[in-house]
Amino acid sequence: MSENCIISTKNLNLWYHEKHALESVSMRIPKKKVTALIGPSGCGKSTLLRCFNRLNDLIDHVKITGEITLDSEDIQGPGTDVVTLRKKIGMVFQKPNPFPKSIYENVAYGPRVHGVRDKAELDKIVEQSLRHAAIWDEVKERLNDSALGLSGGQQQRLCIARTLAVEPEVILMDEPCSALDPIATAKIENLIERLKEDYTVIIVTHNMQQAARVSDYTGFMYLGKLIECGKTGQIFEHPKEELTENYITGRFG
Amino acid sequence: MAEKFHTDLKILKKDTVAMALHGRAMLRDSVDALIRQDKELAELVVARKDKIHEMEVKLEDQCYHLIALNQPMAKDMRVIACTLKVITASLRIGRYGKVIANIVKEISDKQHIANLMSIPHMADLVIDMVDDAVSAYESDNLHLIDDFSSRDDTIDALRHSIFREGITYMMEDPKNISRCTHYIMVARYLERCADHACKIAENVQYMETGERVEIH
Repeated sequence: MSENCIISTKNLNLWYHEKHALESVSMRIPKKKVTALIGPSGCGKSTLLRCFNRLNDLIDHVKITGEITLDSEDIQGPGTDVVTLRKKIGMVFQKPNPFPKSIYENVAYGPRVHGVRDKAELDKIVEQSLRHAAIWDEVKERLNDSALGLSGGQQQRLCIARTLAVEPEVILMDEPCSALDPIATAKIENLIERLKEDYTVIIVTHNMQQAARVSDYTGFMYLGKLIECGKTGQIFEHPKEELTENYITGRFG
Repeated sequence: MAEKFHTDLKILKKDTVAMALHGRAMLRDSVDALIRQDKELAELVVARKDKIHEMEVKLEDQCYHLIALNQPMAKDMRVIACTLKVITASLRIGRYGKVIANIVKEISDKQHIANLMSIPHMADLVIDMVDDAVSAYESDNLHLIDDFSSRDDTIDALRHSIFREGITYMMEDPKNISRCTHYIMVARYLERCADHACKIAENVQYMETGERVEIH
C-alpha cells in the first residue's frame, strides 16, 4: 500500500490471559479509504479493530506489545489521552446502540461532552451530522422523539451521525449491517461510499460480498495473523495466499 | 453450500469440455469431408450447428445462474469467466467447421488442386492446438499451452504460404480461381480457429494464475 496512511501497526501482539489473539500484525491503513477486515469467527479482526481506539483497555488481563500509530504518533503510550483518541477514532457497533434519549440529544451528546454549549452551533452540528449520515430527511420532523422508536437501520445511521458529530478522522465499524435487512444494509453501504470522501473507514465484516462491494483495501485474518492485505480487487480476483483463496471461495471457515 | 457450488462448478466444466469437443469434432469432420470430398459427411457437420447453439445458450445460462446465486470470488470467479470465453471460442470453432462443410458441397465435383496444398497439415496442427487448449482447461495443466505463441506463428506462416501458392495456381489457369479462392478462405478459417485456441489458452492462464497474458 503506497497510499498515504493514517494508522499503522508494527509487530502488534495481543494476549487475552494466555490466549495469543493477535500475532505480529503489521498493517497500514490508507487515509480516506475504506479498509475491510475479513476472516472466520475468532480470527482477531474485531480485536484488531478495538486496538485502534484502545477499547481493549476496558478488558482485564489484556497484554499488548508492538506499535500502533495514528498520524505517526504512538497511541499506546501513557501520554495518550484516550478521550481525545476516541474522538478522533469513532466507532459503530454490530447492534445499533442509541442512547435512550431523543434523536437530537443522541447526536448533540458528543459535542456537548467536548464543550460545545451554544444552541445554534449544536443545531448546526446535529443537522450536518444527520445529513452526512443520510438520515436527516427521515427524522427532521421528529428530532425530539425517542431514538428508540426508529427502525434498526435508522438507529444504525443515527449511531453513525452520533460518531460524525465529534468530527473524527477514522470511523471503525464492527459488523455494522449484520443486524439489518438488505435495504437498510444497502443504505449503510451507500453511506460508507460517501463517508470516505471525508473520513477513513475501517470495517469488520463476515460478509465477504459486502467487503468486496464497499472497500478499497481488504485484509484477511486467520488465527490471529494478518495473512494477506491488499487492494480489494486483487484479494477477491487473485489472492496471493492459498489460505485467502480457500477462505474466500468458501472452502473453509 | 460451498460444496454444492463446487460440485456445480465441476459439472459446468465437464459440460463445457463436451461442448468444446463438439465444436472440435465439427471442424475435424469438415476438414475430413473436404479432403475426401465427402458431401454426406459435410451435410452431417452442417446439421450439427443447432446442437452447438443449444449447448452455448444452456451453458451460458448455467454460468449466469452460478454467478447470481453464489457471487463467486478468486479462482471460482476466474473459472466461470474463463468458461464463458471457452464457450464462445468453441461455438466459433464449430461454426467455422460448418462454413468449411458448406464449401465442401460447392467444390467436390472436380479433383482437388495440388492435393489441397498444405491445408490437411495445417488443419492437423490447428486441431492439435484446440485439443491442447481444451485439455489445459479441463486439467488445469498449463504445460500444454506453453508453446502456443510459436505454434500460432507456424499457423500464420502456413496460411501465408497457402495464400501465395493459391495465387500462383490462379495465375496459371483462371479455371482454378474458384477452387483456390475457397482454399485460401479455408486457410483463413483454420487460422481463426487457431486464434480461438489461443484465446482459450490465454483464459486458462488467467483462470489458473490470475495473470493476464497475450498470445500473439
